[in-house]
Amino acid sequence: MELPNEKLIEVYKKMLLVRTMEEKWAQLLAGGKIHLHAHLGTGQEAVSIGVTAPLSKDDILFGTHRGVGEYIGKGMRPRDIWAEYLGKRTGLCKGKGTLHLADRTQNIPGLVASLGSDFPIAVGTALASKMQNKNCVTMYFVGEGTCNQSDAHPSMCMAALWQLPIVFAVCTNQFCEMSYMSEHCPTEDIAPRAAGYGIPYEIVDGQDIETTYKATEKAVKHARDGKGPYLVEYKTFRMGAHFIGERAEYVKREDLEKWAKRDPIDLCRKKLLEKKVITSAQDNKLWAEVREEVDMAVETALSDPDPTTEDFITDIYEQKGVL
Amino acid sequence: MGRTITFLQALNEAMTEEMRRDPKVFVLGEDVRISPFGQTAGLVKEFGPDRVLNTPIAESAITGVAMGVAMYGYRPILEIMFCDFAMLAMDQLCNQLGQWRYVTGNQYSIPITIRTNVGGGVRAGYGHSQCLESQFIQAPGLILVEPSTPYDAKGLLKSAIRSNDPVIFFEHKRLILGGISGEVPEEDYTIPFGEAAVCRSGKDATVVALGFMVHEALGAAQDLFAEGINVEVVDLRTIVPLDKAAIFKSVEKTGRLITVEEGRIRGGIGAEIAAMACGEYFDLLDAPVQRVAAPMVPIAGSPILEDMYLPNKDSIIQAVKRTL
Repeated sequence: MELPNEKLIEVYKKMLLVRTMEEKWAQLLAGGKIHLHAHLGTGQEAVSIGVTAPLSKDDILFGTHRGVGEYIGKGMRPRDIWAEYLGKRTGLCKGKGTLHLADRTQNIPGLVASLGSDFPIAVGTALASKMQNKNCVTMYFVGEGTCNQSDAHPSMCMAALWQLPIVFAVCTNQFCEMSYMSEHCPTEDIAPRAAGYGIPYEIVDGQDIETTYKATEKAVKHARDGKGPYLVEYKTFRMGAHFIGERAEYVKREDLEKWAKRDPIDLCRKKLLEKKVITSAQDNKLWAEVREEVDMAVETALSDPDPTTEDFITDIYEQKGVL
Repeated sequence: MGRTITFLQALNEAMTEEMRRDPKVFVLGEDVRISPFGQTAGLVKEFGPDRVLNTPIAESAITGVAMGVAMYGYRPILEIMFCDFAMLAMDQLCNQLGQWRYVTGNQYSIPITIRTNVGGGVRAGYGHSQCLESQFIQAPGLILVEPSTPYDAKGLLKSAIRSNDPVIFFEHKRLILGGISGEVPEEDYTIPFGEAAVCRSGKDATVVALGFMVHEALGAAQDLFAEGINVEVVDLRTIVPLDKAAIFKSVEKTGRLITVEEGRIRGGIGAEIAAMACGEYFDLLDAPVQRVAAPMVPIAGSPILEDMYLPNKDSIIQAVKRTL
């Protein structure tokens, strides 16, 4: 399960970018420069990058509300993300989506507010690909808690029934908002549910980027080859609260300590150093470059124009004046 | 002109012609290949199973699927067999479909038509007979359409299919099953949204109605005319956008306004129109606005109880008289 060196360094850089983006987000919140709820995915970077890095630009991605990782992984630009998070009119959605990022140029249709409502929407985009005979796959990336939404079941049913090119990627981070998985799910694994619809599945380690990348690559190939849907469950751990400001007192210390030993970025760095792909000095330089890139993106977005009253009442219908 | 067809045929023709015209148009829903009421009957024979897609019984999920496929270039016509069942899909209909264009900053259009039947009077009882149009008037981004004649049904359904915004198209059971007929041209035509029709001209009172209730209103107008009362009947045709100008113009002439709907009275379409009239041209009104609508009662199976529930010609006549 080894990635070529150049691929490994590429995904490592993406993981650094994700963590840096999220650290910056926390800083902006603390400094009162941003007011949006921040749901961070610290500790889950190998899943979000592993799930998206094997995708092509034409592939369609549905991400989660903890989604900076997968959006960066799919190709969204930090500068566009910040402008939207800051509610600027230059944002991807003109400040109308904020946390609910959508980027048509990257085939990211958007994020629903009610978790799981996009289960069937993703099936619909996969249906469109199949009807168009387009060789692209829909990646439906979702948390394990969301798999309890009622639409999950008919969505998997239709995807299997019509043999659609879709990958259900379940990020099992052990928490459903502010509860442990054991409180909302009767089984340890989500993946076997796929068998009920005849969908093949696999459960993999979510901390190792090579494992997540390879598992995704295999699932995507399966869907792209016309063999129908595939489900992969990635086991990981959310190293933080549901949202910034939430105290997360329910998270057990021993769990944090246990999972911290397998931090995905540390694991990847270790490999790169052992393989001598990079040196310690080069690693430090990479971090510095990424931080500078993120700082620059924030600076530009902060000085962007705010939305206007004209923006407020447009984009509801195709034609203006229908309210 | 010169050709008379039924309401049901008009719907079927609109879909057939649009599917012929545009390969991106397709139909999906529960049992649409067989078509329990007949709107989509025969389509599978001409267009094949890939363009007439039977779905599982899962209203919310099939609405979501239709939305996803609409985002990527298709124009799905989704049938939700009964409007009562559309309540299972309220999240998709009100939270996602109508708001997607706005929250993505106009990156995505959702060109989808959702056809659903409404209404009582066919003894279908609880859960199959409600008129729930007003449930959707709070949701921005949706277009709401309800025809009353075969001509309007065909022209408005074609507009719905060609629209780049999501449309909910309400078909009243008594218009489908009752075999209401009318003249429909052979050639292609569409009817724009937001244009009400004055289907009977009068000077004493304005009755604003939609769907099957237009026919009850016309019956009431005919009876009242025999008593020397001359009522103007305005068929809304679309609920959103609402033709405020047409209602205003009529009230300016008559000074009296009666709203008629088969849906329940609380928070209904009539409430919206009455508020608009009172807020915007109160001084034109010579009498309080009257609302004819169903009461806040579920629909029973007994024909006697159902008839007590449904607004009709007589309740419209009484309402008109209250304004005179």
